[in-house]
Amino acid sequence: MATPHTAAVGSNLKLARMTFYEKELNRINDIVYSNQEQIQTVFGVRNYINNNYESDLNLDLLSHIRFVSKYHLLRLFKRLYGLTPRQYLIGNRIEKSKEQLKNGLSVTETCFAVEFESLGSLGTLFKVKTGKSPSEFQKEQLSRSTLNLQS
Amino acid sequence: MKVTLISIPVRDQEKALKFYTEKLGFLKKKDKPLDGGNRWLTLVSKEAQDGPEILLEPAPIHFEPSKVYQDALMESGIPYTQFDVDNVDTEYERLIRLGVEFSVKPSTMETTKYAVFNDTCGNNIALVEES
Repeated sequence: MATPHTAAVGSNLKLARMTFYEKELNRINDIVYSNQEQIQTVFGVRNYINNNYESDLNLDLLSHIRFVSKYHLLRLFKRLYGLTPRQYLIGNRIEKSKEQLKNGLSVTETCFAVEFESLGSLGTLFKVKTGKSPSEFQKEQLSRSTLNLQS
Repeated sequence: MKVTLISIPVRDQEKALKFYTEKLGFLKKKDKPLDGGNRWLTLVSKEAQDGPEILLEPAPIHFEPSKVYQDALMESGIPYTQFDVDNVDTEYERLIRLGVEFSVKPSTMETTKYAVFNDTCGNNIALVEES
C-alpha cells in the first residue's frame, strides 16, 4: 500500500536518478519561473506584440493591455526574454522586413509594410541588427537565388 | 569579428560524420586531410548552408584534458552544444525512429522547449525550440 512514507522514498529515488543537469534545471526553474501570474502577463504581451508588430506599439499601450505598471512589465519581460519589449518588437520587425526584401519588395515598400517610422530608421536599425543595409541584404539574397537556379 | 565556426569534440571523426549527416541531417562542407589521419572536417545545416560551420574535432583522442572534460559533461548530463529546431516533438519522434538515445525527453521550461540526446561520439546535445 502506498503510504506517505513510501511516496517520499519514491520521489527521493527519482531525485537520485536525475543527472546534475536536470537537478540544476529544476532548481533554476523554481527560482526564475515561480510566479505563474507574472509569466502569463509577459506571455500575453509577447503574443500581442507578435500579432500587432505592424502597428504603433509603446510601453504605455502594452502595460495597459495587461493592467500592470509599465516599469513592472519592462522588468518582467526582460527577465523572461532577456530583451525589453521594444527590442523584441524591433527584432520582430527586422525579421519580417528580411522576408519582404527576399520576396522582392523595395526598401520603401518594406518600410511601410512593417511600420518603421521612416526610411532612415529602418536603414539604421537594419544595419545595427544584421550588419548590412536593407539594399545590400536584398542584393545578396537576390544574387543567391540566381546562383541556386544556375546550379 | 564574426562567428563562423563552432567546435564539437568527437572520439571518432568518421563515426561522427556518419551520425551528424545520416541521422541529424547536416551536410559535409569541408574535408581536408591533416597530419596523422586527422581531418579538418566541417558541416553545415541544410537550412543555412552559408551559415556557421560545425567542426568535428578529434581533440579527446589527442589531448587528455579534453577527454576528461568531455567525460565529466557526459556524466553530469550537461549538453555543451545546442541546436535550434522548429519543433522539438517532431524532431524527437524522427530521431527516436532512427535509434537515437535521449537522456531528456521533450520538456518545457516556460519560453523554451528542449530535449537532450547522445551523439554517440561523447557528447550530450540539446535540441531547443523557442516560443
